[in-house]
Amino acid sequence: MTARQMKLGAFLWATGHHIAAWRHPKVHVTAGIDIDHYIQLARTAEAAKFDMIFCEDAAGLREANIGIASQTSRSIGFEPISLLSALAVQTSRIGLVSTASTSYNEPYGLARTFLSLDHLSGGRAGWNLVTSASPIEAANFGSTGLKPHADRYERAREFAEVVTGLWHGKASGHDGQSFSVRDPLDLPRSPQGAPVMVQAGASDVGRDLAARTADVVFTAAQTFEEAKAFYDDLKGRLAAYGREPDDIKIMPGVAPVVAETEAEAQEKYEELQELIPDDVGVALLSSYISISDLWRHPIDGPLPDLPESEGMKSRQALVIEQSRRDGLSIRQLARHFAGARGHWRIVGTAAQVADELQARFEGGAADGFNVMPSYFPGELDAFAMLVVPELQRRGLFRTEYEGRTLRDHLGLKRPV
Amino acid sequence: MDNGATMHLAVSLFPGIADPSPGLEFSRLASFVQKAEAAGLDMVLLADSAPASGGGAANSPMPFEATTLLAALATVTSRIGLVAAASTIAHQPYNLARRFASLDIISHGRSGWNATMTQAPREAANFSRPEGFSPDDFRRRSEEHIGIVQGLWQGWDADALLFDQSGGRFHDPEKMHLLEHKGEFFSVRGPLNVARSPQDRPVLVLSGLSEADLDIAARAADVILLDDGPRDSAKARYDDIRRRVTACGRDPDAVKVLTNIAPTADSKPAAVAERLEKEFRASGCDGFTIQMPAQLSALDDFVGLVLPELRRRGLVRESYRGTTLRSHFGLAGGGDQ
Repeated sequence: MTARQMKLGAFLWATGHHIAAWRHPKVHVTAGIDIDHYIQLARTAEAAKFDMIFCEDAAGLREANIGIASQTSRSIGFEPISLLSALAVQTSRIGLVSTASTSYNEPYGLARTFLSLDHLSGGRAGWNLVTSASPIEAANFGSTGLKPHADRYERAREFAEVVTGLWHGKASGHDGQSFSVRDPLDLPRSPQGAPVMVQAGASDVGRDLAARTADVVFTAAQTFEEAKAFYDDLKGRLAAYGREPDDIKIMPGVAPVVAETEAEAQEKYEELQELIPDDVGVALLSSYISISDLWRHPIDGPLPDLPESEGMKSRQALVIEQSRRDGLSIRQLARHFAGARGHWRIVGTAAQVADELQARFEGGAADGFNVMPSYFPGELDAFAMLVVPELQRRGLFRTEYEGRTLRDHLGLKRPV
Repeated sequence: MDNGATMHLAVSLFPGIADPSPGLEFSRLASFVQKAEAAGLDMVLLADSAPASGGGAANSPMPFEATTLLAALATVTSRIGLVAAASTIAHQPYNLARRFASLDIISHGRSGWNATMTQAPREAANFSRPEGFSPDDFRRRSEEHIGIVQGLWQGWDADALLFDQSGGRFHDPEKMHLLEHKGEFFSVRGPLNVARSPQDRPVLVLSGLSEADLDIAARAADVILLDDGPRDSAKARYDDIRRRVTACGRDPDAVKVLTNIAPTADSKPAAVAERLEKEFRASGCDGFTIQMPAQLSALDDFVGLVLPELRRRGLVRESYRGTTLRSHFGLAGGGDQ
């Protein structure tokens, strides 16, 4: 039995996770229309022995203000299931996880599509369940607008139950409140038993759904204390569903900026921050905390009091907490937030980044991390070349894949 | 140069006897499609097995859903068109438009969507529509669905992306268009969050048409697949479709009509070639979809024996003239024709 090792996801998104990444001189600016770029990223991540590639998703624009949207690279990109299907046959070991919405899909089709990806990849697929909190997406699927949080999660619960039932080959025939499904899937059983289930919802009802059904939980946590509290809370919920603490891997997002020296890393970070236009930063912050008129408030003043949102409850609380704690103005918060969207940022050398990851991993606040490079390909390369070898030297990360499937990598039980 | 019209040729894969290992199944399918590409065929049609019956051993399905298979095949081919079947019941129009727009960029402009106008009752039963749709509702819904998908495919102008890093302008907001569709069955604001297709838009292939669907096809389709019938009625049917296309204000050559044929294993190659030439010269169609199991031996017979005979007769082009599926069909927007 080897020592416990951390799990790592390579979170691929557009030109990079930093909002201004696309303006960086070293970025691959045409990422959203270049499949070869993604094949290269996947191979880089696989060579570094990442557990998985992670793609997030939205069925619509990210930003309602079209002028703001046109100043970011996030309005166009590959649809992730087609992207990962292409990557599946151009890689051989790395896991392939895509986000897909329970609000705008049907469980039979989604279960079938992910199972197909699982077969194409020889058992390396995973589904990140989201309920979709954006009214922009809702407008592409009907005229009734975004459904309330509780309704979305009720639908998601039934959706997840049907999907796992189909994957596990349980007796078919589901006639529920939101869905009816008559037949079993017409594809063979998954090479890894069932595709891996990932979830990201951090609200109370989101945590319960994760405790019931997820194999991996992706989360946002700024401080060690927040991360630890979330970790303990979620692991504590598992027993109620007859599950062991190790049945779920909790992987907070981390947005590192890494370089050979601390000064270089800091310079790299500042260079990115300088590229953020104020209106873009404020708009991004607004969308995450579900307030449309943030721009009316003085940019160098504090956040106004906010009504509780029907959107992403947990994210809003996180932002408010940070603004109060650090006494940040809207401009400061916007810039800070634009960089990593509320995720944990570390700027430093490989040893400094590894120290921070190690502290959370060994302190019982994480089972691994979803790595969110600031821009592609440079910052994924930097993590793979600098941080991964440092983690391997410390015995914290694998030097070779343990198995063939994503469940093998994550050390997850195979469903019977 | 070809003399006169070019006969278009597609291969349609129907689920054969599946290999027990999906990995092997993919490499076998990849070899099949690569061979079809080496032979210069216009496209491969990938059936989707969702509505098929419960998976008895005699008819075991391919282990892949068609759009995911298309994405994978796109990375191991470079010229041949790849068309996947996807149902209007299984997919919301926004999701479907997005999937195919993405596939078209992955394949560098070689993708197409095969929509069927025939409702599969089993599909409705698995997609929370146990009651299904009446034929008339299904027709109106399909037409609306297809119209939304094609509208979304045109949401971004070809020159919308600026990549102006120093000026901070990623795209030109004037060249991104909302759809604002509000219809009987769907309401879709748009735009799509995938860039414009390298071939203007993915190719729309319509099949399963009844008489009542012909005007829908004439308005929307790039390629129409019809079942084989008596030769004299094929000509009348072909002329009728071209008349309808013209009536929609489109160039009659903007729609290609392919006839489905399934050569039996014991057909003599010369006889098959003879039959295809007769129907083609009688102007009953623009080409053929050869239906065969995904087995190299079946394809070998066609490309090794029938195809050389068709080329000898000057009916089929010697090689690809362009890189997009539209260019193979000589359709507008295909780029390098």
